[in-house]
Amino acid sequence: MELKPQPGMAETSVLERIEGRFGYATDQQHLPGLLHGAILRSRHAHARLLRVDTSRARLMSGVRAVVTAADVPGLNRLGIVVRDQPVLCEDRVRYEGDAIAAVAADTVEQARAALEVIDVDYAPLAVVDQAETAEQMSPLHGESNLLAREAFERGDTDAAFARCAVIVEHHYQTPRQMHAFMETEGGVAIPDNNGGVIFRVGCQSGHRDAEQLADILGLKPSQVTVEATPTGGAFGGKDELTIQPAAGILALQTGSPVLIHLDRFESCRTGIKRHPVSMIMTTGCDRQGRILAHRVDALLDTGAYASLGPAVLENFLDHATAPLYRIEAYSVSGRLVYTNNGVSGAFRGFGGNQATFAVESQLDALAEKLAMCPLALRRINLRTVDEPGSRGQVVRWSAPPTDVLAEAGASPLWAPAVSDARRRWLTGTGMAMGAQGNGLGDGLPDRGGGRVSLSAEGRIRLEFGFSDYGQNLAEAITCLVCETLGCVAGDIDVVLGNSRGPDSGPTSASRSSVLIHGVLADILPRWKDRVRDQAAVLTGLPCDQLYSGPGGLFAGGRQVLSYRELAEKGQPEQTRVDASQAFPVAPEGNQLVGRYLQLQIATVARVAVDRLTGRVRVTDLHHITAAGRVIYPPGYLGQIEGAAIMGLGMALSEDMPTRQGRYLADNLDQYIIPTLQDVPDQRVDVLDNTPTTDRFPVRGVGELGIEAVAPAICSAIEAATGIRVRHLPVDAGYLLAELCAQEETCS
Amino acid sequence: MTRQTQPEPCAPEHVTFELNGDVISQWVSPATTLLDILRGSGRITSARAGCRIGRCGACTVLLNGQAVPGCLVMAWQVSGCTVETAEGLAEASDFAQVRDALATESALQCGYCTPGVAVSLVSGLRQQQNGDVVDLEEAVAGNLCRCTGYGGLKRAIAVLTETSSET
Repeated sequence: MELKPQPGMAETSVLERIEGRFGYATDQQHLPGLLHGAILRSRHAHARLLRVDTSRARLMSGVRAVVTAADVPGLNRLGIVVRDQPVLCEDRVRYEGDAIAAVAADTVEQARAALEVIDVDYAPLAVVDQAETAEQMSPLHGESNLLAREAFERGDTDAAFARCAVIVEHHYQTPRQMHAFMETEGGVAIPDNNGGVIFRVGCQSGHRDAEQLADILGLKPSQVTVEATPTGGAFGGKDELTIQPAAGILALQTGSPVLIHLDRFESCRTGIKRHPVSMIMTTGCDRQGRILAHRVDALLDTGAYASLGPAVLENFLDHATAPLYRIEAYSVSGRLVYTNNGVSGAFRGFGGNQATFAVESQLDALAEKLAMCPLALRRINLRTVDEPGSRGQVVRWSAPPTDVLAEAGASPLWAPAVSDARRRWLTGTGMAMGAQGNGLGDGLPDRGGGRVSLSAEGRIRLEFGFSDYGQNLAEAITCLVCETLGCVAGDIDVVLGNSRGPDSGPTSASRSSVLIHGVLADILPRWKDRVRDQAAVLTGLPCDQLYSGPGGLFAGGRQVLSYRELAEKGQPEQTRVDASQAFPVAPEGNQLVGRYLQLQIATVARVAVDRLTGRVRVTDLHHITAAGRVIYPPGYLGQIEGAAIMGLGMALSEDMPTRQGRYLADNLDQYIIPTLQDVPDQRVDVLDNTPTTDRFPVRGVGELGIEAVAPAICSAIEAATGIRVRHLPVDAGYLLAELCAQEETCS
Repeated sequence: MTRQTQPEPCAPEHVTFELNGDVISQWVSPATTLLDILRGSGRITSARAGCRIGRCGACTVLLNGQAVPGCLVMAWQVSGCTVETAEGLAEASDFAQVRDALATESALQCGYCTPGVAVSLVSGLRQQQNGDVVDLEEAVAGNLCRCTGYGGLKRAIAVLTETSSET
């Protein structure tokens, strides 16, 4: 069923966003007594710090505080999984974004001028800039630059390869993609006059950030509040702490609120990126196209600090096992190495889409060798809904994978393209599939809570800890609440992302929608009961005749009490219901492996390749999703479309190369993300056969749309030109050279 | 490889311009950007520093009716000019038309880039009103959005194009 665009909710927040009044953290430039902070970054990708002298900076006009490692009140380390990154470096810098000192001053200009006169003596160290040789180089941390090595095995891979009729082996490379959220990292730290600090900052996990910040600032957890204010985009890039530690230390030192807002140059230089992956994939099948054996050897460049690298490696390997397909034996392994090439970490897709790019390309390569239709090859290998997942774990699909494939096969994009009169543009259609799990997975602690109450003003107030960075969470919550309570959007207030409110866990891993649905299903009926009980006392009507509806409580089709009256005359504070629940895992079997709730997508792409320049234009994208129920259609559509264009950027233009550990792009003129002129028309079809009795009818679709775009585009390029591109982003010069070579061979 | 982001200081100059109907008169370094003047004024948040090199469009404002990136306009260039931002345009009927189209078609997610997008669209509509042939998709080609993939924006533009061809 095609997901047709539907009118969005004209919420106040939407109108405020359009008019620029929405109040992002970095818009708070006029708090009383506000100071501006700036951070001194390393001049070297790898060096010993011999001396940091701030004496001249302290004398500069307008400067209120200059801090270095010695001024970090608590733990001078940050990191979600491994706390290995110095807040302010003590004796060594490991990438060009490493922070050495921070300044608070009356103006931004003064703060930056003070940075210029901090004297730092460095003793440069050998730069580890090649992931391939990183393990032979002197270690950035501990004993070795090998941060993690992981392997998943199933069956006897060598024996299975020996029985293959066809084997394909290729090298694949994916780029170091940058999140390029429009609001660069920033926010304000405000002393609370009680020794504590309130952070208003763009981030993804207020509660977890508050815990880390308390450790760094040497405060009790109760002394740190994080208000994850509306965030101007995140995509994983604001999962780790960014400016918060420096802003917090400066706020404590000066007793004044401190705003730090990185400019784009600093954001490019310091921000986390997507892991570049270099991998060799070997895949074999029998004459009928049944995949028997699959081997992956991958190398992920995690940069200078661990961040979420080990978790990304796990999700990469999970996807490298080709989870949609039944494979007799596989051996999938990956190494994660430290280098001085920036820091890589969480990014929409989380390693999965890098693996899917290669897996799907391998399937096309097998089909070509067998002279078989690539869709037919997929059909005979796809799992059924009753089979376990690729790692033997219990999984739950929301539709049979073959149904998704069949829809993709029926896409109108397969119609032969009309070639232009002068044959300048070569057109072709291709497709790829992808799977995506919801939740943190792998047995990691994964819980989330929420709260409903009636406010003193008579508003139905829903609170979750998730941060709002544009996912339409408030709209989705509103839709679900209206559906359950029969009320209207105007009755509801949604409050997100305050670390004083309920802890929902991180806003990542496509987990929010699942938990929101689960928690609401728990708390709303209980809230309804409490409200009804109070209304029964106030109206004298029997409880079972009362029900909630638009604006208030009803009996016999007539409103008998408004929510406001109920709040005024009743005890609104008594209606509050809190609940927290574990993220859904397999009811039986090994719950420590992979993710239980699984989503699928098939993306069909049509491209036109310019024979004169080698440039690729994607003219159409058609996605078929099987990801459970759609709660808020405009939000669902926007997530799929937005993620897909991020995937298009990764396929065609985005990369952050390094030389000697320094990023070669420092702003959006060199790092090219798609503009409106670069994007195709998109269509999204939703397959939702979820039975009404399903306990988990709602899945999170924040990452699904990126999964299969890059391989679909490369498949379409091959259909158009006969050339398969295995290194992303697609290099127009390479395509042109190959096209020229073809023409020479022909003539 | 670091490119300079801060201009060299020079002697302050007195600048007077009209901002959303009010007269702004202040001493600033002539190389201060219009973006910094606006954000420093305490009343403008719609123009945002997304790149400071004129690439992302998040600071788009109208300068004498023309859409420009506020980060590339210097203080000395705005003297005597009229500057309009999303805040000031909010009451205008064509801005309302743009706002409704953007909201109805869900052309935004995080919304950080959206005021710049709206100003570019208003500028395009006004040029059309003046009889110029303007493709609204081209009018927003300089506005980067990282969330939506531009799907909702394309649909909003289709709505705007339909309405403007009816009138």
